[in-house]
Amino acid sequence: MSGGEMEALLEDCTQCGLCREVCIVERLGGHSITSFLCGEEEYSSWLCSSCWRCQEVCPQGVDIHSIMMEKRREEEPPAGHELNLVNVLRFGYALPVDDSVNELRRFHGLDEAQLIPGEWVEILLQGQE
Amino acid sequence: MRTMGLFPGCLVLQRMPQYEKATKRVLREVGVHLENIPDAACCGAPLESFNDKWLHFAAYNLSLAERMGRDMVTLCGNCTNVLLRARAALDDTSLRSEVNETLDKIGLHYDGRVEVRHLVQLLVEHLDELREKVSRELPIKVAVTHPCQALRPSELARFDDPLKPQAMRRIVEAIGADVVDYDAEHDCCGSTLYLADERLGLEAGRRKLDSAGVADVLVDACGNCQLLLDRFQGLLGKSSGPGKLAVLTLPQLLGLAMGIDADDLGVGPATTRALLGSSV
Repeated sequence: MSGGEMEALLEDCTQCGLCREVCIVERLGGHSITSFLCGEEEYSSWLCSSCWRCQEVCPQGVDIHSIMMEKRREEEPPAGHELNLVNVLRFGYALPVDDSVNELRRFHGLDEAQLIPGEWVEILLQGQE
Repeated sequence: MRTMGLFPGCLVLQRMPQYEKATKRVLREVGVHLENIPDAACCGAPLESFNDKWLHFAAYNLSLAERMGRDMVTLCGNCTNVLLRARAALDDTSLRSEVNETLDKIGLHYDGRVEVRHLVQLLVEHLDELREKVSRELPIKVAVTHPCQALRPSELARFDDPLKPQAMRRIVEAIGADVVDYDAEHDCCGSTLYLADERLGLEAGRRKLDSAGVADVLVDACGNCQLLLDRFQGLLGKSSGPGKLAVLTLPQLLGLAMGIDADDLGVGPATTRALLGSSV
């Protein structure tokens, strides 16, 4: 994303701070994207509970989610998020897949899960940077 | 009986068959038959922070439901949110054709005909049927925790108040249980936050559990909430014994009130005894 596009996303933000007030990360002492929106330099775009309250209360309709996603692509990811990514790239699921998946399901009387074929995962990811 | 396509999401599909089987069993009582969507993959959420292929995964899953001719039922907030946003984004015809070029390579196509409903939305549309099926009084106090991402953004979720949701409360009240207020009712469980910062994620969970301790049971409707609030209670020093708060998924609680065998709901004997007392 160009600097101009980020500027456009931020254009309507008045730094009123309502987003930061409802942010659980901020209440727990961390600094989320809402700190960035309030002009602070200390924050991580990854520190988020994905509850979407900030965007819901924003009186200006700022697309905070898109801003956060753009910022994440510039920042080093935490190990937990990276592991989920690696699993999706490899298995098509956020968790690794092996035979135990269907064993557990059978134990609970559920039908076996019909999982996505590996070659389809590759097709869905084609052109991935 | 209406048939719908179930999209359990990675966590429920692979780690929480209890939530899936209780959902299927309870929905059957209210006239909905769930068929798992064959070949369903990750909703796409974990990709979004890295690249735009999340949309391909979401569209792929939507196209599978469309091929079945079924609307989709989701069990997690995160999947619901991603699928609803993808559905809205794919209203753009040029974006849809672009995604369809990829789907065509695996013989699939998405036309935009699939509705996505989170379990709570579906249940709140069946309150009368729920009331009729209750066969056992549950004289217990219930704290509910709402699936954040199934409620927001409200321009897409639409079925409940996005900041002071009522649907889960109404569902629990419909089975005659007492819904209690607690300070952290509207706070996130901390599950997604845990991925980025374990300490903060667990602290969110601890605050939620401490606050919900006024109830006999905490009820959620999301695999992520169930993971942090129930399965991770051990990491909070609340692993077992009197210190552990019972945490059930919504259909497990409803099933107990319907007199369904606890085994068929994936509810363990200790929780069953604690909630039903000598009536078991």
